[in-house]
Amino acid sequence: MGFNPESLAVLQGEPDWLQQRRRGALATYERLPSPSKTDEEWRRTDVSRFDPGQFSTLEHLDGLKLERPSGLPSGVILKPLRQAAKDHPELVEPRLFTLVHADRDRFAALHAAFFTGGTFLYVPDGVEFDQPVLGQHFSHEGGNSVLPHTLIVAGKNSRFNYLDEYVAEDDAETGYRSGSTEIFLGEGAQVGYVAVQKWGRNVWHFADQRAELQKDSTLRLFNVTLGGKFSKTRVEASLAGEGSNAELKAIYFASGEQFFDFHTLQDHRVGNTRSDLLFKGALQDVSRTVYAGLIRIEKHAQRSDAYQANRNLVLSDKAKATSIPMLEIDNNDVRCTHGATVGPVDPDHLFYLRSRGIPEATAKRMLIQGFFGDVLDRIPFEHARKLVEAELESRIG
Amino acid sequence: MATVPKVEVGTDYKEKYGFFVPEEYVFKAKRGLNPDIVKEISWMKQEPEWMTKMRLRSLEIFRKKPMPTWGADLSVIDFENIFYYLKASDKQSKTWEDLPPDIKATYDRLGVPEAERKFLAGVSAQYESEVVYHSLQEELTKKGVIFTDTDSALRDHPDLFKEYFGTVIPPADNKFSALNTAVWSGGSFIYVPKGVRVDIPLQAYFRINAENMGQFERTLIICDEGSFVHYIEGCTAPIYTTDSLHSAVVEIIVKKNARCRYTTIQNWSTNVFNLVTKRAMAYADATMEWVDGNLGSQITMKYPSVYLMEPGAKGDVLSVAFAGKGQHQDAGGKMIHVAPNTTSTITSKSISKGGGRTSYRGHIKIYPGANNCKSFVKCDALLLDDESRSDTYPYNDVDAENVTLGHEATVSKVSDEQLFYLMSRGIARAEAETMIVNGFIEPFTKELPLEYAVELNRLIQLEMEGSVG
Repeated sequence: MGFNPESLAVLQGEPDWLQQRRRGALATYERLPSPSKTDEEWRRTDVSRFDPGQFSTLEHLDGLKLERPSGLPSGVILKPLRQAAKDHPELVEPRLFTLVHADRDRFAALHAAFFTGGTFLYVPDGVEFDQPVLGQHFSHEGGNSVLPHTLIVAGKNSRFNYLDEYVAEDDAETGYRSGSTEIFLGEGAQVGYVAVQKWGRNVWHFADQRAELQKDSTLRLFNVTLGGKFSKTRVEASLAGEGSNAELKAIYFASGEQFFDFHTLQDHRVGNTRSDLLFKGALQDVSRTVYAGLIRIEKHAQRSDAYQANRNLVLSDKAKATSIPMLEIDNNDVRCTHGATVGPVDPDHLFYLRSRGIPEATAKRMLIQGFFGDVLDRIPFEHARKLVEAELESRIG
Repeated sequence: MATVPKVEVGTDYKEKYGFFVPEEYVFKAKRGLNPDIVKEISWMKQEPEWMTKMRLRSLEIFRKKPMPTWGADLSVIDFENIFYYLKASDKQSKTWEDLPPDIKATYDRLGVPEAERKFLAGVSAQYESEVVYHSLQEELTKKGVIFTDTDSALRDHPDLFKEYFGTVIPPADNKFSALNTAVWSGGSFIYVPKGVRVDIPLQAYFRINAENMGQFERTLIICDEGSFVHYIEGCTAPIYTTDSLHSAVVEIIVKKNARCRYTTIQNWSTNVFNLVTKRAMAYADATMEWVDGNLGSQITMKYPSVYLMEPGAKGDVLSVAFAGKGQHQDAGGKMIHVAPNTTSTITSKSISKGGGRTSYRGHIKIYPGANNCKSFVKCDALLLDDESRSDTYPYNDVDAENVTLGHEATVSKVSDEQLFYLMSRGIARAEAETMIVNGFIEPFTKELPLEYAVELNRLIQLEMEGSVG
């Protein structure tokens, strides 16, 4: 057992460049040590009990359900990623794993070496469509690895929405899961991207979602984290073109013994860029969450505007939330604000509702809904909003 | 002074002479750090054996601990090229003429009196406040307050000293607290008995007459139940020193219902590495306030902290950092909530100009069981030009129930609207900017005694000159 060069053999029929890239990533995986608590990023995130090797069976190589919007304009390419690597190497090869680097850590390397399912979406210049593309990644059984990767290329002035949904058929499944995404936004592109992670409650999940924004492009990214016993998600936007605008929003709801870790980066590489991040989470039972985010404004990124906030609603006495919002500002002509809060339901609010005759449990539920309300409004398209609201509703219960 | 014979210690001095050097002798330990030098320091001070042992143990810890890899770049410090113990009289051998002209000019502009200037510059240890100090001393003695230098305290109040020394910041806390414990010298010792309020602020100025500002000061303040004291160290005028490393340790114990305020204004010359560990333990319903201003030095790493040990304790840090060209101020605060129903606030204001870098680094830790705590952190940074840099690294760890924690930070430049408003009222641009900066740090200056506030405003004015192109 374990991930080794032989395990790559099952991934047949791929072009040489991809096989080579996988071998390189595997070598990186073998070379890199497991992250230790002395690394700042992993100080509060314990992976010492995770051995990916025990889940080295890869499940369903191209297993995903793609819902193609009806009347998809011509020129749009929507395919399983491995198929696209074969059919459109000129589009895939120069981009794949150039935003999400395989050598970032051991798990990123493993994902790059063994990603199986996943989507490739290419929208040519000037193409717009309203109906969202829906990618559903299923895991049918436990004890294995499901490692989908999404690659989205948005041409100049294109406009569309995309939803990745990670679904477990068996909520008690164990295993190794990932769900990474790379999004390239061309000049003036407008992309809405939503990722909803609903893996089983006993899996280890690692995700890197990273976008690069060219001039005047707009990204509205929304992350929903609900599943996994351990979930580590990095959400990163690299603002590479003037006038680009990244909106990064997330909600998470942790219960039981779940542990969620979020790392975010708003990297303002050029001036006149804007980013707005809001991560909101509720914690129940003995769950724990860690949020660490960084706004970096580079030397020549004048007139940039960055906002970052993390709000945690702690619903149980035993749940723990850690919040570390960081700023690195190398320029004075900027507007930068960040904030973090960790706290229980405001007793004054609860009192107000109860004094109006609302039972405590209902009042509490209303306050939780209210807490998430403003961020739910930011979900970029209707289909995803309904999905997320329903998921949340069933959990707030 | 020049005729006083120079004695090298560390080789054969002890064996050869075998007696304690009278104060008027110039004493200078060798450069570098080894157990013999530490023993010599302890022997020179005629310390009890436990202290000598503690120093040696700390030296071991210092050697074993790695350099911190976070924060500012400290790799340039050469520990072997530092004098670890200098008697005051040696520092006095410098002359006024030796001072760098910019330091002298700053004294002029700040309007610091001649005698005080010499004292600050380390060219004279005689300071006119000695008289003030003596009458103050009488007052304090009547109330039972002890206010002395730390070396004398070890000699004159051995039991009290031993009970508290090293209990708030043990030598193994960090590399620099270990270094300080190994080679400490000077600093203030204050004991305020139960229920006593010391109405006038106690200032290091008054005390430091024979002993100059030390490199490795050690300050210990004990506020017994229900007492109050305000201690002020430092001053706005730049302190010139040829020593490149300043590594002090400040320990404070604030007992039940007591309140202690500790005000620092640090303005070391820009060749100094200022690496200071400051920590207070606050017990039931006690209040600890750090007011901390960092203007000078090349690199400062300083995070005053409060351990909230019993219910009702309150901690407060108010910090201002100003980083000019070539400076890195890595400052902030730490609040460690050990007991339930404790509260803390940290307010940080930082200003960077001319390529300077300020970093806020803070830590709020709420231990399991420390329920119903409240903590709030606010950091504001002002960047005056596009070469400068500002960072914020707040760490918040909450392991308790029903905790409310907030953190807010903003980074901005002097706003065009504010400038326009002032300039439309006929105020010159440079002056307007200075006003805005002074307004920005007002929450800090208003906590200072008047004379310090005036000096600080003047200093900001000086620092701001030439910043507007």
